[in-house]
Amino acid sequence: MAVASDDRRTAFETEALPHLDAVYRLALRLSGDEAQADDLVQETMLKAYRSWHQYKSGTNVRAWLLTILRHTFINEYRKAKRAGPTVDIGEIEGYYVFHEVQEVDPEGEFFKQIVDDEVLRAIDSLPDEFRETLVLSDVEQLTYAEIAEVTGVPVGTVKSRLFRARQALQQRLYDYALEMGYIKGVKR
Amino acid sequence: MSAPRKIDCQAAADRLYEYLDGELTPDAYDEVRAHLEDCALCFKVFGFENTYLAFLRARTRAQKAPEHLKKRIFKHILFDQDSAESQ
Repeated sequence: MAVASDDRRTAFETEALPHLDAVYRLALRLSGDEAQADDLVQETMLKAYRSWHQYKSGTNVRAWLLTILRHTFINEYRKAKRAGPTVDIGEIEGYYVFHEVQEVDPEGEFFKQIVDDEVLRAIDSLPDEFRETLVLSDVEQLTYAEIAEVTGVPVGTVKSRLFRARQALQQRLYDYALEMGYIKGVKR
Repeated sequence: MSAPRKIDCQAAADRLYEYLDGELTPDAYDEVRAHLEDCALCFKVFGFENTYLAFLRARTRAQKAPEHLKKRIFKHILFDQDSAESQ
């Protein structure tokens, strides 16, 4: 059995561990807490290692790991509601920001002035299901079909969540840019 | 080779993210692309959204798993007899 165990260790090291950063990033965005993210990642990787025989070689190992992470988070970690305000996703008007800036900054130059931390904070203000969809797509670059598989919803739901999440986030970042004076508001 | 079916601005806007995410079938992709060649306003909207998505990617991927966590994974999972047990 020592040989089988070594094989698994080698396979896990070369195939699963390269995705540790992705697993960590999603853990951070889901839990909103570094210590909890550490525990969540460790537990996810332990579960993945133990059930490595269930992973089909050649399929997307990152999506598989992120699925385990998400289940672990929902079943064992998500106890209290996250602190902090969440944006209202119900009121999203499509392409609102472009219509606001098309005369002053149609190429979206103002985005360049917004730093990483502010973008992550804005992502964290999205409601759970919109935040996870956006992170899986825009941070981890999963396809719609992979996101549907990880989050357990139809592709159509992924599309509509992604649209609303991206537009809500954009609106929030635009409001921030206005506040910081990175862009001038249009007089109406 | 026939020309792509004509679509209007609303139909193009409805597929905006699928187009930018590379999620459309080749025919649907060609229809949107043909519309963008004809419509200056949609071309600008798509360009703006494309900039936004590139900005999101650039601002959100810098975080890496911390070293202490990597060490924990190695120590407790890969080289721990207990974790080697299946189930």
